[in-house]
Amino acid sequence: MMDGRPAPRARRAGYLRHGTVTPYLFLAPGLLLFVAFRLYPLLDGLRLSFTNARLGRTQYAFVGLANYEKLLDDGRFQTSLVNTAFYTVASTLPILAVPLVLAVLLDRGVPFRTVLRSAFFFPFTLSVVTVGLTWLWLLDPVVGPFNYYLKAAGVPVRSWLADPATAMWAIILTTVWWVTGYYLVIYLAGLQDIPPELYEAAALDGASGWRRFWSITLPLLRPVLLFVLVTHVIGSFQIFGQVYILTDGGPGDATRTVVQHLYETAFRNFFHFGSASAMAWVLFAVILSFSLLQFRLLRGHTEY
Amino acid sequence: LTPVGGLSYSRSEVPRAAGELEPIPSITPIPGQEDVMADVRSEGRTALSRRWFLGGALGVTAVLPAVARRATAQAKPTITYWNGLTGADGKVMDGLIDQFTNETGIKIEQQRITWPELYAKLQVSVPAGEGPDLVLIHTVEIPHFASDGILDPMDASPLESKGFKGDDYLPATWQGGIFQGKRYAIPLDVPQHVMYFNVKVMKEAGLVGADGRPKVPASAAELVAMAKQIAKGDTFGFAIGTLNLGKYTWGFHHLLWQNGTNVYTADLKRSALGEAAAMEATELWGSFHAQHKVAPPANANARDAFIAGKLGMWLAGSWNVAGLREAKVEFTVAPMPRLLKQPVVWTIPHQYAFPKPKAADSAKRDAAWAHIRWMTDHVAEWTLKAGQVSASRKAHSDPRITGDPVLRTLLAQAPNWQVGQPTPQWVAAENLTRPVIETVYIGQRPARAAMEDLAKQINALPT
Repeated sequence: MMDGRPAPRARRAGYLRHGTVTPYLFLAPGLLLFVAFRLYPLLDGLRLSFTNARLGRTQYAFVGLANYEKLLDDGRFQTSLVNTAFYTVASTLPILAVPLVLAVLLDRGVPFRTVLRSAFFFPFTLSVVTVGLTWLWLLDPVVGPFNYYLKAAGVPVRSWLADPATAMWAIILTTVWWVTGYYLVIYLAGLQDIPPELYEAAALDGASGWRRFWSITLPLLRPVLLFVLVTHVIGSFQIFGQVYILTDGGPGDATRTVVQHLYETAFRNFFHFGSASAMAWVLFAVILSFSLLQFRLLRGHTEY
Repeated sequence: LTPVGGLSYSRSEVPRAAGELEPIPSITPIPGQEDVMADVRSEGRTALSRRWFLGGALGVTAVLPAVARRATAQAKPTITYWNGLTGADGKVMDGLIDQFTNETGIKIEQQRITWPELYAKLQVSVPAGEGPDLVLIHTVEIPHFASDGILDPMDASPLESKGFKGDDYLPATWQGGIFQGKRYAIPLDVPQHVMYFNVKVMKEAGLVGADGRPKVPASAAELVAMAKQIAKGDTFGFAIGTLNLGKYTWGFHHLLWQNGTNVYTADLKRSALGEAAAMEATELWGSFHAQHKVAPPANANARDAFIAGKLGMWLAGSWNVAGLREAKVEFTVAPMPRLLKQPVVWTIPHQYAFPKPKAADSAKRDAAWAHIRWMTDHVAEWTLKAGQVSASRKAHSDPRITGDPVLRTLLAQAPNWQVGQPTPQWVAAENLTRPVIETVYIGQRPARAAMEDLAKQINALPT
């Protein structure tokens, strides 16, 4: 269409009218749903964050920034921010590395690779509730198999989920087990995109396996790594399901994360939607700034 | 549902004629119940006149609206009833409700969801005018629902005319239905804890008497000593609660009240948890696992441990009895021991309440009253089948109940029953209490620091 030839005036007007409206008509159903179920709740949440709204109460008042000010004094909200940051940082390396190692091994053509790939992907097909309940049972301090086998192997055991020193690590372990398969598949796709000639040339030059991984695989996987990193960090800040099922934020507040705290404020403690909305917007700001930072740090083109 | 003349009825009720009615069983009226009985007896006459009117209406369509109004006014209403009886007790309730419908013609549409969901739903649906006609709730929920205008207060006159009076109830349960001088609920039954003993574990620890029955501890010191004798390897001596033992406020409240104190001071103005009596109770709470190592970890499943023979003494709900019998565990029960100053047994009785309707509907309200009256009169059946003893005294002397060893144990605790305090902040305070007592349970924080912090948090709750 855009061949640079000047079109007759009448036809161009028709094209414009036709051309601008039609795509929007096609987009309309999706846009409508997006506005109704995403954009409107999002903006309404922002509005609520400036009120003392409680679900079930018909009257509420605008309180300005009071909800945000309260967060500055809310020790439990700050604890939950620290816990969320800890989870995000501590889980990033295993989430980046474990699927990568497995993907490289599977890419090298180990036996039963198709079976293994499915096996690794399988946990990701489970819902977070199923994963949580399964691990809750596996990690049960009295009747759980995890401690049973550790004890049989002579390893000192403890109640992993009831100990503030290990509870978050147990949640990280569960999460790594759950999502490894998903990132594995993404890494595999990235690995298959790397031209084999590069490896051949490197082999001719006498590069070792480690050297090839370090100088070819890793740099060329950069966009994939960035994707995994950004997706994981955003997801980490929003962690809720695993915490809710495995520890409910405990012991004490040792695994209380922002979304857990937000959920309790909104739904367990008499629907304080105003305060909870303020928390949600603080979380949004945190996620947004981290995402921008990551894009900035990892910007750069992949050149072959 | 077809709204006619401000009322609504379910379609299935309309064609019901006298011939289809269930036979009315002969029930001996008890004092204060005559009006309900009169209502039941009038059913035949009502239905006959309805048939006459409906018959006439077939030929005379012009008078149909008037006829429909008349028919509705005389039909037995269908009421909606929400409860959280999601366990085996739900089936028992279904059976009793069927029997009630057969006897009275009043239909009940039940909605059964877990308690937390029920309370959330109640909080949002009643202001929207979508609440049920009748709800079963826990005593501790009454003050905040009453204060938020979710529940309708009950006037003295229907209470009197339906034959409900305080003398018939254990005082704590009856008082639990009152908030700021007004009654909002009528108690049904009293879920309670008892002490379970795993006979095999107790025998192995040498803690059985000459009759082969497990010994019962009479004090906190004795309990700890016995628990230490049991605890070895992965077998534990004592636990309170089923899941999430560390934050089980029900268990914590036993100790608190046994030590003569409470969550709030008597004037309900501030938290009493920062005071010495609460510290003592909290120290005992924290000693079982963190100090003496006789209790399971905070997140252990005590029920599974008890069934697996890895727990000797277990203070837990009487609703576990059926499951333990099914699992074929050899166990005995004893009343909750007195561990501190007084032998209080903390409970959360179930109570009937009326959510505030969009518009008053006397027929539905009367039907709801009739159901509460009927259940109160048939509460012995409920106790025998669902395993919870009643808040009203009448059924307590039923030989079928006194003849059952578990029910007898539960009844023996009745004079010691205590319920929560009548403040709208109670549930919010309890939510704050859970994580804090868990830190004490696992030994992360000393009782004093934890309780002082908790009292501060509770005092800062919005009113």
